[in-house]
Amino acid sequence: MSKLAAPAAAKASSTLPKKESILELSKLQDQLVRVKCIGGRELLGILRGYDELVNLVLDECDEFLRDESHQVTDQKRRLGLVVIRGTQVSVVAPNDGVEEIANPFVAAAEDDE
Amino acid sequence: MTTRLLPLELIDKAIGSQIWILMRGSKEIVGTLRGFDDYVNLVLDEAIEYSPDPHNVNKYIKTELHTEILLNGNQIAVLVPGGAGPSPENVSAA
Repeated sequence: MSKLAAPAAAKASSTLPKKESILELSKLQDQLVRVKCIGGRELLGILRGYDELVNLVLDECDEFLRDESHQVTDQKRRLGLVVIRGTQVSVVAPNDGVEEIANPFVAAAEDDE
Repeated sequence: MTTRLLPLELIDKAIGSQIWILMRGSKEIVGTLRGFDDYVNLVLDEAIEYSPDPHNVNKYIKTELHTEILLNGNQIAVLVPGGAGPSPENVSAA
């Protein structure tokens, strides 16, 4: 029976315990979260569950609709209890951690020239 | 409610019933879930495909496939167990 070389003990110094993610979804359990997907979809729902691959279970989930230029609007449609694939997730944020501000990139009319 | 729902368990519970899938772009699929694998590739029966209508945003063109399909998990973004698909007022037949 050939002995396989033991995996090098030199794991990256930033080793985390095996099941931990750098994102602590346990903090967001049962809270309203906003999830952005890499295809552009945005969803809002109550986080009911997740796994280590960041697959998510959202309850009372709404999807934000988009307009012709694929910009997200305030229009929503109700989806209900959903599973979001972790491979497609780009952002998970608590909904009450988000605040809309005036667009800082739009110059006020008198500023130009 | 602190008991955490595992996503893949929820998909497993949906086997045998209807499921609505939102793909990465604007395409959607509805079918009866027969099974899935670790990559969340799906086997769907009596699948109906809802393709985005190029002329109308948020509207769909429905194509009934009348067959069992293997849906590649690569582009699957959202799964809605028991879901019925986009609301009928937004759907037109192919």
